[in-house]
Amino acid sequence: MVRQYKYEPHLFRRYKEERDYFSFLSGILAQDPDPISQLSREITDITVERYDQIMQYAEEGKPFIAGYFCAAPEIYEAMDLPWYMIMATPFLAASAPYLLGDIDGAEAMGLGTDWCTACRLSLYYIEAELTPKPWALIGLIHPCDAGNLLHQSVARNQKWRDVPIFATDPPYFEDQRSIDYFAGELRRMVAFLEEHTGHKLDLDRLREVCIESNKQYELWAEYAQLRRAVPCPHGWGIGGPQCFAAVQVFQTGKPRGTQWLRNLLANTEQRVKEGVGTIPNEKIRYFWFDLLPFGWVFEFLPWLEEEWGAVMVMEMFGFTPYTPIDIRNEDTIFKGLAKRNLYDSPMVRQARGPADYFAADIVRVVKDYNIDCVIWPGHMGHKDGSASTGIMREICNELGVPYIHIGLDLFDKRYTTPDECKDKVSKFFSAMGLG
Amino acid sequence: METKLKSQVLQQFQEATRSLVNPELQKWKDQGGRVLGCYCSYIPEEVITAAGCVPFRMRGTGSTSTELADACVSLINCSFIRHSLDLGLRGEYSFLDGCAWVNSCDHVRRIYDHWKRKIDTPFVHLLSLPKKVTEPQVEWYREEISLFKDRLGFHLGVFISDERLWKAIRLHNETRQLQRQLYELRKRKDPPITGAETLAVMVAGTAMPRQEYNELLRELLDDLSRAEGHTDYRARIMLIGGILDDPRYIDVIEDQGGLVVTDSLCFGSRTMWRDVDENASDPVTALARYYIADRPSCPRMFGDHLRRSAFVKDMIRDFNVDGVIAERLVMCDNWTGEQFMLGEDLKETGFPYIRLDREYLLTGVGQLRTRVQAFLEMMGR
Repeated sequence: MVRQYKYEPHLFRRYKEERDYFSFLSGILAQDPDPISQLSREITDITVERYDQIMQYAEEGKPFIAGYFCAAPEIYEAMDLPWYMIMATPFLAASAPYLLGDIDGAEAMGLGTDWCTACRLSLYYIEAELTPKPWALIGLIHPCDAGNLLHQSVARNQKWRDVPIFATDPPYFEDQRSIDYFAGELRRMVAFLEEHTGHKLDLDRLREVCIESNKQYELWAEYAQLRRAVPCPHGWGIGGPQCFAAVQVFQTGKPRGTQWLRNLLANTEQRVKEGVGTIPNEKIRYFWFDLLPFGWVFEFLPWLEEEWGAVMVMEMFGFTPYTPIDIRNEDTIFKGLAKRNLYDSPMVRQARGPADYFAADIVRVVKDYNIDCVIWPGHMGHKDGSASTGIMREICNELGVPYIHIGLDLFDKRYTTPDECKDKVSKFFSAMGLG
Repeated sequence: METKLKSQVLQQFQEATRSLVNPELQKWKDQGGRVLGCYCSYIPEEVITAAGCVPFRMRGTGSTSTELADACVSLINCSFIRHSLDLGLRGEYSFLDGCAWVNSCDHVRRIYDHWKRKIDTPFVHLLSLPKKVTEPQVEWYREEISLFKDRLGFHLGVFISDERLWKAIRLHNETRQLQRQLYELRKRKDPPITGAETLAVMVAGTAMPRQEYNELLRELLDDLSRAEGHTDYRARIMLIGGILDDPRYIDVIEDQGGLVVTDSLCFGSRTMWRDVDENASDPVTALARYYIADRPSCPRMFGDHLRRSAFVKDMIRDFNVDGVIAERLVMCDNWTGEQFMLGEDLKETGFPYIRLDREYLLTGVGQLRTRVQAFLEMMGR
């Protein structure tokens, strides 16, 4: 049954603030003629546009949903369902001034402090009425326990009990049976969305989206290859996270996103041909095997470049197999989507299944990208990764590449302060004779 | 609190919780019997029994440190996996002929990865356990159980026929029925057995040959039916949480006057509150349906919180519970979320509820005692 949606303007208060923040950021970037800044500006522009679109749909009473990049955003696009992530704020606006206060607010709710901060924040935003209420919610129950329990908590939350929720169940291993099963889950997700939004999935439209999206993945793959160059053409400031934003979140299957990737590629090719690195004197090429420390990124990653000449050559968002979707028929499309969303989506790829999967990625990246050291940040919410630290270390030992496990919170800089992180990493670089 | 009984059965069960290999299990091993470790209550133990092995629930009993495990995992991982893995790395689990996992949680599923790499156990297997409880998941788990059955049978050189499976199902159902009889006695105003003793009975059931266990349990039930009940308590408590296999933890609660009369624990009621359907068309489907859809679920199961909450509320009513204590191992996300949700549910009804964090080994007894005392006082007891 299609839900009777009631527009509640007060739920968009924080959402508007975030939109204004990104708009402000776009304005600043627009004044900088540097091509990298212009590429970044395009990403902030499309971010602002998504915020505007959600607000417009809400005001006009048109369906929009909350969903995830690893639950087939191609389908949302094909169904004309604008979407946002209830976890977006920690990821997108983590540098906003209210973040630490919000974390304290989450703690005051009685949410366990060893629960992933991004998950705690998301529940807090719902309870504090700081996030829009969607027509329907696609929950996320993998790759981590925290995400699963977050979405269960959302489902029972008094304020969101009327929001229908569906989550795709993830199989643990990678084989044909798992793909078939997950494709079935995606079909059930479509039925759920059709029932609760009234929008129907048109297969031809889905095919179009997948064709465009395939182009995007192909360009992303090409870009990832170019980052193998020495010196690395780009650092932490542009790369995987922006490709992810374009391809898997804001511009999935849209020509504008494809054009952005072409522009990125053109810039990168030129830099590689000219031998221009992200910094003048690249000394250490590191593989950051996690998300970026979104809450305090500006206090740490630029310092690594300036102080140590350390360049983030690859990270978790940037290395995926970029699987194309076979668009011959409905069956191949759904199976292709299943494979892409289970095996390629960042975090899900690395954290969902057995350790062998991420272990293979570490080997591949270290060998292909001339990596000098691997940094496992050890986010406090990533329990499966931290339970694998010994395996990561052993792999790195076998490869002869130094490895460090920091232990931090990607969103809350009070957990391990930027200064403590700098101290740990400096000692590590010195001890390993790097830089 | 301690129950006085004629027979030694209760002591036998209690002793079984103090070490990994109890005399009954040792006897089984001495006779050439095989033992297969299970890292979670979602592993279909009936398949293991049908293969002629004893299913053994993995614990960290006897561990005193985690030095070897700490080289594998980190301090943000729960102490259960650190202690149990440490025992494995020290060779304390060399009596196992195999070990099975499901992807229970982010901590336990990584133990599978370490175990495979570092510990020489002849057979290791992980079943991909769904995180939802609807029909497609029953079908998926049916296939997983079938694959497990075939692989284990092949490894052991045993054909696990439907007949063998039904026999195992009947045996395990018998265990469940006997355990439910034990819990039934705890509904009395003067329960003849304490919560700590009950936990010992339940843990022992996961560590000895099932036939022998059932016989001992029958003897215990007979004994208890004539035993004097406990009346010297201040409040009737329901204990909720994940892996708790140390009765001494409950002893601390009961020493303060909080008699634990029921639970929702991994070694407790969730494993036996329902039976596997013996009238189903085939045994593998019956098992899949039991583990995914029928038994009271673990918090990792999405979309089932309302049923879990109703289970707790039914227990509160049926066992005349005065207050609920929810314990969890530090760093456990599943139980963090469940404790929060359940707290909200009970808050809506105004029912006394307290959340406690703990480590796998019994530590911080003084703090635990103080918190339980405060909780009982808060209830006006």
